[in-house]
Amino acid sequence: MLFFSYFKELVGREVTVELKNDLAIRGTLHSVDQYLNIKLENTRVVDQDKYPHMLSVRNCFIRGSVVRYVQLPPEGVDVELLHDATRREARGG
Amino acid sequence: MAVGIRVYSERVGDGGGEPVLDAENGEELMHVQPGVSIVLSNGPPESPGTLYISSKKVVWLSDVDREKGYAVDFLSLSLHAVSRDPEAYPSPCIYTQIETGDDENVDESEDSDSECNGTLDLSKITEMRLVPSDPSQLDHLFEIFCECAELNPELIEEEEEHNWISSVDQLREEGTEVEDPNWFMSENPTSTIGQSNGDHDLARTVLELQINDRRFEDADEMEHDVDSGHH
Repeated sequence: MLFFSYFKELVGREVTVELKNDLAIRGTLHSVDQYLNIKLENTRVVDQDKYPHMLSVRNCFIRGSVVRYVQLPPEGVDVELLHDATRREARGG
Repeated sequence: MAVGIRVYSERVGDGGGEPVLDAENGEELMHVQPGVSIVLSNGPPESPGTLYISSKKVVWLSDVDREKGYAVDFLSLSLHAVSRDPEAYPSPCIYTQIETGDDENVDESEDSDSECNGTLDLSKITEMRLVPSDPSQLDHLFEIFCECAELNPELIEEEEEHNWISSVDQLREEGTEVEDPNWFMSENPTSTIGQSNGDHDLARTVLELQINDRRFEDADEMEHDVDSGHH
């Protein structure tokens, strides 16, 4: 549940979601659920030459199971907060 | 796991209406959208049809050809989006990507292969567009897709664990299955000889030990004798 709670904090920020099929979509994180399904708004495809048809879908639902990476905005990463959260998670609390 | 898109033409009753759903396993019809054409991969739009969204899958059935229809499980839908940009596609549509199970090879081969052959290999279809005749329905359709996708969470973690465990078990079973016959094969022909040989060896060793014991005794006596002989 750590990632779910963490991603919820990032709602409204710009993220890049990289899928397991190599498609990378950048957009504003609209919402995330417990399965890490991700909804993006104002999306654009990072590699537009390779995926021209994805050029400009406005909103997009991405199945959590097909996500490989989520690239976070550096200013959205609170290292201290993550340290605490991971320690708590490791303790099973 | 993911199976991609498939042909689907099972309809309720006389075959004029709704698709047959798996009601026993709780599958429910969530939404019906008439006047939708379907576009697979980069193919042409197919005859007008009706879109049925159930709690488990998306079914499109042709209004013209009763035998024609497709279905894709929400578990196989990697993403869905509203596409309104005419540069992306001329008509506003719901754009979906389909997980086929062998993603690695599909991306490069799918477009050229399916187009060149003129026939669509459904197992290689990774893209599907649903074009409603009423574009104002797109946002509503998108939300329904979202709701239904969330109703179908991935079983992957469990599956992977099961696969992992079962594959390890299989490895072990295969290992023992391979080892067992070999072990019996080599053991059986030699066991009768081997056992008797072993017995002989054991008997000899015991004899030798006894002999050695006597030799030590003898040696003592000999030493004693020699000592006494010197005397």
